Amino acid sequence: MYGNFFFWLFREPFPVGQLGQQIVRVILEAFGAMMITGVVQGGLFAWLGGWDGGRFSVVNWTGSIVVYLLLSESTTLLGSMMFAARIGTAFTVEIGSMQMSGQLDALRLMAVEPSQQIVIPRVLAAIICLPILKALSDLVAIGTAIACLNWWFGVSPTIFLQHVFEVLRHPILTTSYIRCMIMAFFIAVNACGLGFSFQGGAVELGKTTTKSIVINLIVVITVDSVFGVVDQITGWSVV
Amino acid sequence: MIRVRDVCFSFPERPVLEALSVDIGESLTTVIIGASGIGKSVLLKCITGLLRPQSGSIIIDGDEVVGAGRHKLYAIRKKIGMLFQEGALFDSMNVFENVAFPLAYHKSFSTHEIEKRVHAYLDLVGMREAMTAMPRELSGGMKRKVAVARAMILEPRYLLYDEPTSGLDPASSAIVESMMKRLQTERAITSLVVTHDIDLTRFIADRIALLEDKRIVTLEERDQAFSETSAVYDHFIEKRERIRQENAS
Repeated sequence: MYGNFFFWLFREPFPVGQLGQQIVRVILEAFGAMMITGVVQGGLFAWLGGWDGGRFSVVNWTGSIVVYLLLSESTTLLGSMMFAARIGTAFTVEIGSMQMSGQLDALRLMAVEPSQQIVIPRVLAAIICLPILKALSDLVAIGTAIACLNWWFGVSPTIFLQHVFEVLRHPILTTSYIRCMIMAFFIAVNACGLGFSFQGGAVELGKTTTKSIVINLIVVITVDSVFGVVDQITGWSVV
Repeated sequence: MIRVRDVCFSFPERPVLEALSVDIGESLTTVIIGASGIGKSVLLKCITGLLRPQSGSIIIDGDEVVGAGRHKLYAIRKKIGMLFQEGALFDSMNVFENVAFPLAYHKSFSTHEIEKRVHAYLDLVGMREAMTAMPRELSGGMKRKVAVARAMILEPRYLLYDEPTSGLDPASSAIVESMMKRLQTERAITSLVVTHDIDLTRFIADRIALLEDKRIVTLEERDQAFSETSAVYDHFIEKRERIRQENAS
């Protein structure tokens, strides 16, 4: 499927309409799950940061630490995992059902290459949408952290934001978005590939979907770990 | 003309077609009948290049399908329209978009021209009123009518039908049969139908081929096929009566 993706990516006609539809669909479908994840992470880090910050009398510094942890690692990893669960499985089931009902064969018979019409728009939409969703999830997580730290530990938003802008200039935040795009690429290609290779009935489709989420979660964790190690070794993101 | 010669096709666990040969005549409706699971749909998929036979030759208008490269195969497929068993309409598109899709993809027509053509073909199959409906809102018969409009929109030389009436109630079957008959008389299109529906066969066939034991055992004109001396009659009409009598007694 990886070879197919690059082979068809640069061939005419480019499915612009399909790409637009997929971008809207991916944003709408993944939005809820990723925002809820953002709220939970913001609240959790605010609680842990505020609690431990209080013990060491550095509660006013908690804001920058929380934001750094959220943006550099937490929303990237958990957001991508949610994305794999919500969008990756949707791609696998959708393409698997198309395979089962003969829609992919119908495309081939119309002299339309399914890889070009089905895979390219989905993979590109995933690469475009995951960083956008991560950015929105980041905002939601930071907003939740500000509200929770203020409510639970009395840290005012002004103090919270005092050192945040220094954190936001940190290079690892930029690379976290690149990491998201790489993860989105793997998630979407794996999910589409499993949908295409599916054969059988409802039971097999269930198994293929489970396989899709398991493979994609492993890929997300692996890519994140590899990226983290490479980041440290090369010193891209170290201040 | 479609010429199939000595085609052999096997799935890993079982052979399906062995040295199968048949000619599909121009402007005629050829019906291939045979029992369920005998390989009729496999034959259609081999003819369209969706499955690749292990050996043999399939020639469509002088072009070899077996072993053809992607470009050649796509050029051949542009001459063919196919109705799949369940219609295989695209779930994410409404009726209009389903029918317009091949036109928009392959031809550089204006939006107005595409609309005009889609309306004409939806009129032909009697589905103009359901233009904005999604496939999930359509009955089995309606889906197949839309699928025929989609298969016809690029004006193919050949129209292949895979079990066009299977799973339909008698009224829906009659609607699909009438539409096929109308296309046959109005457009004189070369059609290949695979089915085990003997009533449909009687209604639309010009020639009838019997697929049995992994090959075509007989190819006859309709009147001949329905005479009491024919193999088709023996296998599909007399056999049915015999089984009914045996079970009744």
